[in-house]
Amino acid sequence: MKKKKPIKKKPVFPPMSLSLEGTQGSKTGTWRYLTPAYLNKLAPCNEACPAGEDVEAAMVLSGQEDYIGAWEKITQENPLPRVCGRVCFHPCEVSCNRKEFDEPTAINALERFVGDQAFHSGKRYPPPQEKKKEKVAIIGSGPAGLSCAYHLASMGYGVTLFEALPKLGGMLRYGIPSYRLPKEVLDQEIDNILSLGIEAQTNVRVGKGLKWEALKKFDSVFVAAGAWKSLPLKVPGEESKGVLSGLAFLQKVNSGETFNLGQRVAVIGGGNTAMDAARAALRLGAKPLVIYRRTKEEMPAWEEEISEAEEEQIEFIFLSSPIKILTENGEVKGIECIKNLLGPPGKDGRGEPRPIENTNFTLAVDSIISAIGEAPDLSFLPHELQKAKDSIPVDETGATALKKIFAGGDIVTQPRTVSYAIGAGKKAALAIDATLGGKNVAEALRLARWGEKGSLSMARYKSGGSDGMAQEVVPFAELNTAYFKPQRRKAKEKLDVAQRAGDFSEVAAGLSPASALEEAKRCFNCGVCNLCHNCFTFCPDLAISARPDKQGYAINYDYCKGCCICVEECPRGAISVEVKK
Amino acid sequence: MRKLLTGNSAVSYGVMLSRAEVISAYPITPQTTIVEELSEICSDGRLKAKFIRVESEHSAMACVAAASAAGARVFTATSSHGLAYMHEMLHWTSGTRLPVVMVNANRAIGSPWSIWCDQGDSLSQRDTGWVQLYCQSAQEALDTVIQAYRIAEEVLLPVMVLEDGFFLSHTSEPVEVPDQKAVDRFLPPYRPRYKLTPGDPHTFNIMADTSLFINFKHGAQKAMVEAKKVIARVDREFKSRFGRGYGLMEKVRCADAEVILLTMGTAASTAREVIDQYRKQGKKAGLCRLRMFRPFPAGEVVRLLSGVKKIAVLDRDNSLGAGGIVAQELKAALFGAAHKPKVFEFIAGLGGKDITPETIREIMEVTWNNAHPKGEPVWIGVQS
Repeated sequence: MKKKKPIKKKPVFPPMSLSLEGTQGSKTGTWRYLTPAYLNKLAPCNEACPAGEDVEAAMVLSGQEDYIGAWEKITQENPLPRVCGRVCFHPCEVSCNRKEFDEPTAINALERFVGDQAFHSGKRYPPPQEKKKEKVAIIGSGPAGLSCAYHLASMGYGVTLFEALPKLGGMLRYGIPSYRLPKEVLDQEIDNILSLGIEAQTNVRVGKGLKWEALKKFDSVFVAAGAWKSLPLKVPGEESKGVLSGLAFLQKVNSGETFNLGQRVAVIGGGNTAMDAARAALRLGAKPLVIYRRTKEEMPAWEEEISEAEEEQIEFIFLSSPIKILTENGEVKGIECIKNLLGPPGKDGRGEPRPIENTNFTLAVDSIISAIGEAPDLSFLPHELQKAKDSIPVDETGATALKKIFAGGDIVTQPRTVSYAIGAGKKAALAIDATLGGKNVAEALRLARWGEKGSLSMARYKSGGSDGMAQEVVPFAELNTAYFKPQRRKAKEKLDVAQRAGDFSEVAAGLSPASALEEAKRCFNCGVCNLCHNCFTFCPDLAISARPDKQGYAINYDYCKGCCICVEECPRGAISVEVKK
Repeated sequence: MRKLLTGNSAVSYGVMLSRAEVISAYPITPQTTIVEELSEICSDGRLKAKFIRVESEHSAMACVAAASAAGARVFTATSSHGLAYMHEMLHWTSGTRLPVVMVNANRAIGSPWSIWCDQGDSLSQRDTGWVQLYCQSAQEALDTVIQAYRIAEEVLLPVMVLEDGFFLSHTSEPVEVPDQKAVDRFLPPYRPRYKLTPGDPHTFNIMADTSLFINFKHGAQKAMVEAKKVIARVDREFKSRFGRGYGLMEKVRCADAEVILLTMGTAASTAREVIDQYRKQGKKAGLCRLRMFRPFPAGEVVRLLSGVKKIAVLDRDNSLGAGGIVAQELKAALFGAAHKPKVFEFIAGLGGKDITPETIREIMEVTWNNAHPKGEPVWIGVQS
């Protein structure tokens, strides 16, 4: 047989220019002089949260319907999401970038939803992983005290809470009426915190039942006793029967006492205490009348409180100040007021009220609730801490003039809100941990900051600030809003006004699961990759791919030419450009 | 099955029967109803194709070119400014040797603004490397779309099928719609030798170095030459299966003709009537309708005219500064020929102006009555 010659195949010249391999051979990355990089940035809501919640992370997880994950993110920073989801004045929403587009995302309502979901699915705080030998005393069990106790106990410290009143919660319990914060919800939140092994001593007033010196056995003390002293009206007749301070009134109401206010109740003041008092009085069957010395615009009360009071048809008299309480046999019969004009703005920017001569008028009232402000009672403190008139002076770390004694909440000079108090409690916990651990406290706290507004993060504290989050806040202008559709914010559903009088049922209803998800998806997720896939879709070099851990995308710099289309097309500003040196 | 179809509708049927897999187009008058009908055909499931809406003709051609590179049989359609907008992609597509089939409904290019027929749009794309086939009837449009896929996929060149805007695109006539099974036997699925597929990665259109660039262009030129034979063969096979064939050009009474009118598209159907009238008067007139413009059938035209004294070329287009494009091509083809008839050039029917029997007669009379052409094209219908 003839041996066949092997046929030598001549390489075929293809009809079109064509590589015999893929594009990988051409390393276009060498062309690059601009380098895009994923850089999770700070959303304005995060920076604005006084409690230091990782709002943006919670919003991303909520948008993925992972409410338990969202709850874990929130409660790493704030142990009271179900409280804040109901009563926080939500500065996060005020700074929300979405307000420039249509309406801010309903972060506060979502926080409530997330908290309620987690609670009802049985989520509780995990016990501390280690036990530390140091013990900390906390005076006051309001939001600041609870927050501090939670964080310290989570880190393994032995914590004892001293509460002067019969139950824990401070202003949350005795200041906020249950139509805003049901007692049941508060109890559940407190029980969850206490389950970390916190010792709570109620009905113990430091300085009376317990001497200050007795606290010396603790390694550190956090003073968070709040501001419970109502400021006097300083008008004749103030001592009469039928005149109550706003806080005393609320404390009675919130303790479940029922009493007769009569028909007509004058509430003096324009702050949250005044609104709460008026609305509580309405629920006790009275007809409240709010008297405020400035106009509605200057009222310090939270806008939602004012609008709900208005819904409830509570009457307001503006630009009027009481000058005399009219009595008969030592009982209130009426109130004499004078009309005011607003003068030039004072220190806080609000016009100073000036009485107008001969504009006196009288109103027949059965009782008077005075709610013109509160101050802390410092009398129980050692004299070193009583040097300022209405607060304990503290430095930026919350440290007082006494070693290892910290203070925060309404007893120091800071905005008197639940979320600021929670933030102050956390700050104290971090400062105490840093102090007892021999760290540079100011530096440790600086590394734990979210942005520049003073919010502190436990997660950042633990990582020493090395969590890869840029502290740059994403402004609205950096978002690519072409990818967002205008969509109305979910309005809060509220109890029918007719049902509110005579009933302390919660006014605001929570979001339905469908509304919650819709609202979570409305969030722009400013500065945070939420796996939207846009960068992957737009990259002309196929240099972007999903990370194997599905936590984001990776850029292959062998092929990235640096066109930075990804930066432009990222709807949320989560990619930045670095100029190659 | 016999149906009453417009030219555009006939094109849609042709695409459906050819089983195109990816269609991408941007609407433009008078092409619009082609893609409207195709989108319906895709959405109701008669054709299992991906219909991609795009924001421009440039993108439409980029889309179908990419899909073709991935191995899909593709279709697009456009007209006039849309075609002009595709210009760059026309070069890329032919350079990549992608068998894209496109129908262009011939429409004048502005300015002035016009939506009406002339062939300046497609003739000004003659150098983009596309085969160009000009149709005269809805039936021919349907049949040519099917043939175009066979041609394109064999020679690896894109094919442009032309139909006169409105005169053909929007007028109805009875059309024999072939049976799907018969079309499937005529046109097997497209099996490209090279395609983009993740399992076998290639880069298409990589940079050719200076020594190789010319090889690709030469390869494409050879394919264009080859296309002439393939177009003729595919047409013969089509005729044997379906009973209809069109050739590279349609010759009417040319055998003993002394004067032949050469034109493309629907004007030929009007001219046919006039030629018949001349024949009745005993005048030896003939008609040649050029169907294949690219590749240009130079040899065939020279043979056709070997015994003819005069030829009148009716161009529904004009290359400013040079004259009718068909006439230029014809003259170039005749340059080396042993017998050169006198070439009388006419420009008519621009911007949709009707080419009536009177137009044709005027052209024929000028050709008959003058011993020599004037040396420049005669423009018909210019108002003084």
